[in-house]
Amino acid sequence: MTAAVPMSTVLVSVLASPAFAAQRRYEGDDPGPGLTALETLGLFVGIPALVIAVVYVLVFAGSGAKGPRYRPGVAWRGQPQWWGGPADAERAVDSAQPTQSGGGARAHW
Amino acid sequence: MPTGEVFSERQLQDVARAIAGAETDTGLAFSVYVGSLGPNTRERALTLHDALGVEASRSVLVAVDPGLRQTEIVTGPDAKRFLDDHAAALGALAMTTQFNAGDLAGGLVNGLRTLGEHARHPQTLHLDQP
Repeated sequence: MTAAVPMSTVLVSVLASPAFAAQRRYEGDDPGPGLTALETLGLFVGIPALVIAVVYVLVFAGSGAKGPRYRPGVAWRGQPQWWGGPADAERAVDSAQPTQSGGGARAHW
Repeated sequence: MPTGEVFSERQLQDVARAIAGAETDTGLAFSVYVGSLGPNTRERALTLHDALGVEASRSVLVAVDPGLRQTEIVTGPDAKRFLDDHAAALGALAMTTQFNAGDLAGGLVNGLRTLGEHARHPQTLHLDQP
């Protein structure tokens, strides 16, 4: 008789659990109010999306500040840049007198 | 490829600083050209070197054609006494290694540093000693 009481309690609670799932699953259970569809979306989609966006910005803000990037193999249309060149580069190149040859090196990449 | 400005303000300053550093290290004049060199890159680089005028003899010109992926280093007769062809080739190698990774400014900075370090410094006679 003493064993029959817990057995019946278990049986009742197992059978009843689907109906009680949202309310009280066991004695003293105190589930809060459920999430609305909007809250669920915000929690499981919105916050991860925000984290992804923050990481994305942190990663690509740096490369953006470095300026345009040269990509090997892509045609070059940039303006010529000459450091330490003559003041009037075009005229100087046109009127350049051949000088005694020195040396140097060349490399292809 | 973006047209117009290819280097950011900071990259321009970095390369200018590297040029100044190499000039201080070697006592030579350095000049760096980045742009199209036409079909005959060596000829064009020599012309650019000639365009440096009276400075050409003691000048080192680094000419880079990113489109053709070609780097030319031209040294004047006086510059060659301190920066021989082996040192120039080392500098070119340092540059192209980084150019290949898409880093033009970084390659120039590293290459100029290499050129500065490998330029042979003439032995100074200690005139203050008997």
